[in-house]
Amino acid sequence: MRKIFGFLMIFILFVYACSSDDSTPDTSGPLPPANSTFERGPLLENIADNIIIPGYIDFLSKVEALEDATTAFVTTTDDLTAIRAAWLEAYTTWQRVSLFENGPAETVGLRLNVNIFPANVTTIEDNITIGSYDLGLSSNRSAKGFPTIDYLLYGIGVDDTAILAIYNGSEGDAYKQYLQDIVADMQSLTITVLDEWQGGFRDTFVDNDGSSATASVDRLVNDYIFYYERHLRAGKMGIPGGIFSGTVEPNTIEALYAGDLSKQLFLEGLDAVQDFFNGRAYNGNALGVSLSSYLDDLNVLKEGADLSTIIDNQFNTARQAVQGLGSFEQELQNNPPTAFLNAYDEVQRIVPLLKVDMVSALSISIDFSDADGD
Amino acid sequence: MKKIILSTLAIATLIFTSCSDDDDGVIVDPGPGPELNIEVPTTYSFERDGESTVSFSGQTTRILMGEALISSMQDFDTATEQSLLDMYANENTPFEDEDLNASSKSVRGKVAASQDYFSTNSAASATIKQYFADLISAQVNEVFPAQTTEATAGVAGQIADGNSTRYINDKGLEYNQAVTKGLIGALMIDQALNNYLGTAVLDAGTNIEDNDNDIVVDGEAYTDMEHKWDEAYGYAYGTAFDLADPNPTIGEDDSFLNKYIGRVEGDSDFAGIAAAIFDAFKLGRAAIVAKNYTVRDEQATILRELLSQVIGVRAVYYLQQGKNGIEANDLGGAFHDLSEGFGFIYSLQFTRNPLTNQPYFSADEVQEFIDQLTSGNGFWDVTPETLDTLSSTISERFTFTVAQAGSI
Repeated sequence: MRKIFGFLMIFILFVYACSSDDSTPDTSGPLPPANSTFERGPLLENIADNIIIPGYIDFLSKVEALEDATTAFVTTTDDLTAIRAAWLEAYTTWQRVSLFENGPAETVGLRLNVNIFPANVTTIEDNITIGSYDLGLSSNRSAKGFPTIDYLLYGIGVDDTAILAIYNGSEGDAYKQYLQDIVADMQSLTITVLDEWQGGFRDTFVDNDGSSATASVDRLVNDYIFYYERHLRAGKMGIPGGIFSGTVEPNTIEALYAGDLSKQLFLEGLDAVQDFFNGRAYNGNALGVSLSSYLDDLNVLKEGADLSTIIDNQFNTARQAVQGLGSFEQELQNNPPTAFLNAYDEVQRIVPLLKVDMVSALSISIDFSDADGD
Repeated sequence: MKKIILSTLAIATLIFTSCSDDDDGVIVDPGPGPELNIEVPTTYSFERDGESTVSFSGQTTRILMGEALISSMQDFDTATEQSLLDMYANENTPFEDEDLNASSKSVRGKVAASQDYFSTNSAASATIKQYFADLISAQVNEVFPAQTTEATAGVAGQIADGNSTRYINDKGLEYNQAVTKGLIGALMIDQALNNYLGTAVLDAGTNIEDNDNDIVVDGEAYTDMEHKWDEAYGYAYGTAFDLADPNPTIGEDDSFLNKYIGRVEGDSDFAGIAAAIFDAFKLGRAAIVAKNYTVRDEQATILRELLSQVIGVRAVYYLQQGKNGIEANDLGGAFHDLSEGFGFIYSLQFTRNPLTNQPYFSADEVQEFIDQLTSGNGFWDVTPETLDTLSSTISERFTFTVAQAGSI
């Protein structure tokens, strides 16, 4: 009992002497803005006019090219090369706009409609066999979009000959129809989103330039961080790497059937996230008003350095770490996949910089909770 | 004399270290008083609008899964490598208890998985998760086939320990003990001290704002912060006979952390520790209800110190018991103690020293200890001198002596 008392005395000394900031390794968070003169309107303008809208225009053009390639494929059905190339082009461009799940895209649930992976093969095959399906149903979201096209172009047969044989076989028309319907679904959703941005939403977005939970910047930053944490970090790396389950899950990678693509799709997504942070124009390299310049304007420092620089550097560090890997398929064959996990850690290190340091400097509240509870 | 100087130094260092970056000069009230308005109940019972806000069923589930696993590791007749690994990961409906099968949780998923230690240390996390899988596999592949072999140096088999028969590997280690005592650190201690009691988790997202305004989790009676604290509590008391008042049966309610809080409590040198741990959990939770995060974090500090100490005390205790057994030429008894000690030493890397926010012993230091215990023919070769040296090294980093830990 005496010993316990001694320990408690030590603690009383400890807590009496000092503030209780004992559990976070980093106690020097960003300094609060001294005197903010930052206008949020120009930030929103740059994001809408130079990043989001040009991004959707480009994405729609790639989806339309995929539609053309699909039409050509179902007509001749003798060569997968062109449609696969168009699919990859559109899928790559998708990584550039996936993060903008805000406003019109959020309303239609664009991301959930075009890129839930892995695809649900059972549902896909059932839909094709039955021949009647409502692609608007949420239960069909894992049976359409890019991952389903991945399956239909790479996964339905053991090799190209077998795949083409299915399209030319007795069920061929049903497969062709499904492929066309899915591409058309993506196209129609994308048109809806772009039309809204080019219609009234752009001004609504830019004019909502206050700072409250429903202001454009607050929402956008939340959606941006959510994308980074859940979809880029967890979806493309963490889940396949077994971060959450404790067991490597190689069958959950993006572009599972095509293979050897998930790393490049990840890197494209990382580029998009970093470019967004720096306010880089979608077309060209011009840098505009951005989260980075916002932080600089407020002179936000962390441990004596510009927070914007720290974040940008960490994006670069994460990219180098992932670039240094073999294909995700190769890396995930190791148990544990040490190199893959080390690269993941560099990707993870950005999360608290954005989710704690940046948002507290910008006085933005995170509106989503951590799913990783008990 | 040496001890006194050391501990004086430790206290001086503590004050010095803890103040070095304290540039705002705020003096924090040392504890709850009437002016703080913290209403501390006599048991761990908290309500909102007449409904209990306490919830830690996930922890109870994991403790029960762990119990099933370690029990099955000694089931020579029916357990297979696959059935045991399935229990570890909760795959392929491995449990007799259908509730466990139906759960989305597993032991493996939360091994070495804390926010503070492992969120940017994924490779280490994966390696540790696999370490337990390897121990489980080795039990089936090395020890099961040697069930009726007499163990000798370098040969796995059975060895008598009084009335009991122990089943050991070629170095004298009981794998089931290494798993059981290792999980106390890798699962219970790591999750409680380095995940749920840390501000990164307690204050995540809008937790402070929500708790300040009594905004509860959708469909639940508790705020997220309250729940996170309860989850730490659950790793100590999740299978207690009385979940709100666990100390009357402390030590009897599981084979993991609860059991060894009870064992350390039973050592007269440490009597009072069980009450101190429970009180800190209770006061910390009451402080959350009162929205006093300073007092909350003070209790987290106390819990990190005391629960880490449980691990340290038991590591030294078993090393000393093992030494006594070797000196008395009771190898079966000695190896059983050393197997338990082995697991507690492994667990040291998950402890949390509040002064450094690091484990009391790093993973590298732990590996060095384990190398000393397992070199050559392992326990067959280890000397009393080595066990004494390890005991002092461990106890000196804490604030107890080998004599205090080594006796009851």
